[in-house]
Amino acid sequence: MRRSSTAIVGVGSAAVLVAGWLAGSARFTTDLPVAPATQLPIAEKTPPPTDAGTSPLPTPTEAAPVVVAFNGPVIETKYGSVQVQVVLTDGAITDAIALTLTDSSETSVEVSARAAPILREEVLAAQSAGVSNVTGATYTTQAYLSSVQSALDAAGFMG
Amino acid sequence: MIRTNRVGVDPVAHVAEPARRFLWRQRRADALEGLSWFSFAVVLALFLADGGWTYFTNIRDLATGTGIVAGLIGSNLLLVMLLLAARLPVVDRAIGYDRALAAHRRLGKPVLYLILAHLMLLLIGYGLALGRDPVAQAIAMITTMPDLPQAFIALAILVLVVLTSLVIVRHKLPYLGWYGVHLLTYAAVLLALPHQFGQGELFAVGTWARWYWLTLYVGTLAAVLGYRFLIPLARNLRHQLRVAEVRAEAPGVVSVVMTGHHLDKLAAHGGQFFGWRFWSPGLHLEAHPYSLSEAPNGQSLRITVRQLGDGSHRLLSVRPGARVFFEGPYGLFTAAARTTGHTVLIGAGIGITPIRALLEDIDTPSGGLTVILRGDDEEHLYLRREVEEICGRIGARLEVLVGLPPHQGRTWLPSAEFAAGQTISTLAPDIPDVDLFICGPKPWAELVVRDARAAGVPRHRIHAERFDW
Repeated sequence: MRRSSTAIVGVGSAAVLVAGWLAGSARFTTDLPVAPATQLPIAEKTPPPTDAGTSPLPTPTEAAPVVVAFNGPVIETKYGSVQVQVVLTDGAITDAIALTLTDSSETSVEVSARAAPILREEVLAAQSAGVSNVTGATYTTQAYLSSVQSALDAAGFMG
Repeated sequence: MIRTNRVGVDPVAHVAEPARRFLWRQRRADALEGLSWFSFAVVLALFLADGGWTYFTNIRDLATGTGIVAGLIGSNLLLVMLLLAARLPVVDRAIGYDRALAAHRRLGKPVLYLILAHLMLLLIGYGLALGRDPVAQAIAMITTMPDLPQAFIALAILVLVVLTSLVIVRHKLPYLGWYGVHLLTYAAVLLALPHQFGQGELFAVGTWARWYWLTLYVGTLAAVLGYRFLIPLARNLRHQLRVAEVRAEAPGVVSVVMTGHHLDKLAAHGGQFFGWRFWSPGLHLEAHPYSLSEAPNGQSLRITVRQLGDGSHRLLSVRPGARVFFEGPYGLFTAAARTTGHTVLIGAGIGITPIRALLEDIDTPSGGLTVILRGDDEEHLYLRREVEEICGRIGARLEVLVGLPPHQGRTWLPSAEFAAGQTISTLAPDIPDVDLFICGPKPWAELVVRDARAAGVPRHRIHAERFDW
């Protein structure tokens, strides 16, 4: 190729790569549809009766830990919905319960069933939603972490 | 692009037009090559846009991410390979079919390495995520993941195709064996499709990559189907070529004249070649590339063939009336490839025959055309009488060089001319300001190219037909 053609191709390629990068980071950091998280009616020191909508929680005593559960919003992905409930005990993340996982096909059930425990452990270990992607389950990961993050935000969780 | 399709209507006589045509061809070649490179950037950009960058934000996913990228680049390169071999007219007119095929061959091994890397890296990456060693991961993939068994078969086919195409193996294989394995490439491409579009989330519904790759695959397969099967089929049905005459030119050398319908509408030029398939016992399974040895005259096509490979000696047994299936015309070794007003044609042995056909299409003011023929002895100067007649008629200079090369010294000249101090410049005085067309055995042709370059002929004005495939 002549030098001018090489230059055009080089500049064009660089431009399209940068555009791809920008589009990717925009979509996968902010673009997931996020609804506000809902705080479950678990008042401090006044444990509610356990019902279908809440997690079974230990009955608090005088010195009992403060346990709150927040449901993250339902995040829609093209493989199905994902919703996670975050449980905070004395301000620390002690559990992340997947209420809904992707179910559009057998494969997406398998993929998210594999990803969810890994994500749960990582969230507990990191005490944040800022954990890495689970290979082969990008959409589940993004939705899961997004739901967790919104729940944490609603809880005023500061890490 | 100017394309004088009609036989007998000639191209050009003055300098401006060849130069302009050359510029156009160069632009077209640059555009095609640029587009191929650009496609790799598009593939990577789509991968990033669909979230691929997240693989590279942590160590754990690095192997998987790199493996996916290797697979993407490898697939794109494989499609470029298929397009290079698809006989696309736009490619043939820009760079010529021989250069396209040379590029196709060069890409074979890189594609295989990329796809192998894709497999290895994903085995490692998935294995790390799931706590399995790569072998266990491979077994798990084949046994539990849909579409993956086909993908493994596709890879095995690719390995086989590349192995059978290695020079050392290919020479030991019959043409048909190699060709049959090569056709399996299309099967491999199709077998690998489900795991790309179904498994994982890479080309999933809703991603930009899905549309890009769908377009690319459908386009490539359509091009292959159209230009390698449908168009040749239609042309054969239209022209209905049959052998009209088989004539011995010299010991072991025959001319085959073919006639058919509407040959005046066949857009072929002197210097081009076709893939020929003679419908005759023992020959019809093999297609052979032979150049025309006479510019198409609207009535008949002629090739002149020396017995070389598997099928060419059996051409002697072809009888008039036999059906001929053809693919083509192909090649840029034509009068339209010129970039200046002066032309030098050099042919050796059987390589004289395309020169003979090209000569008829070159319409240059007297003195601007030199023809040099070379043969180890008189007998090897095939079609010499015809060349002499044409040169006399149009006033072209003709130099005939006969004799073996010297034992010492690498030269394309016979020993007598070499000893007498002849060079390409003394034989063709208008060098270096010429377009030089060379046809002959490859080592010999390389020596001509070497001397022409040394005499100052720019590379883009040297047109060498490759006869070795």
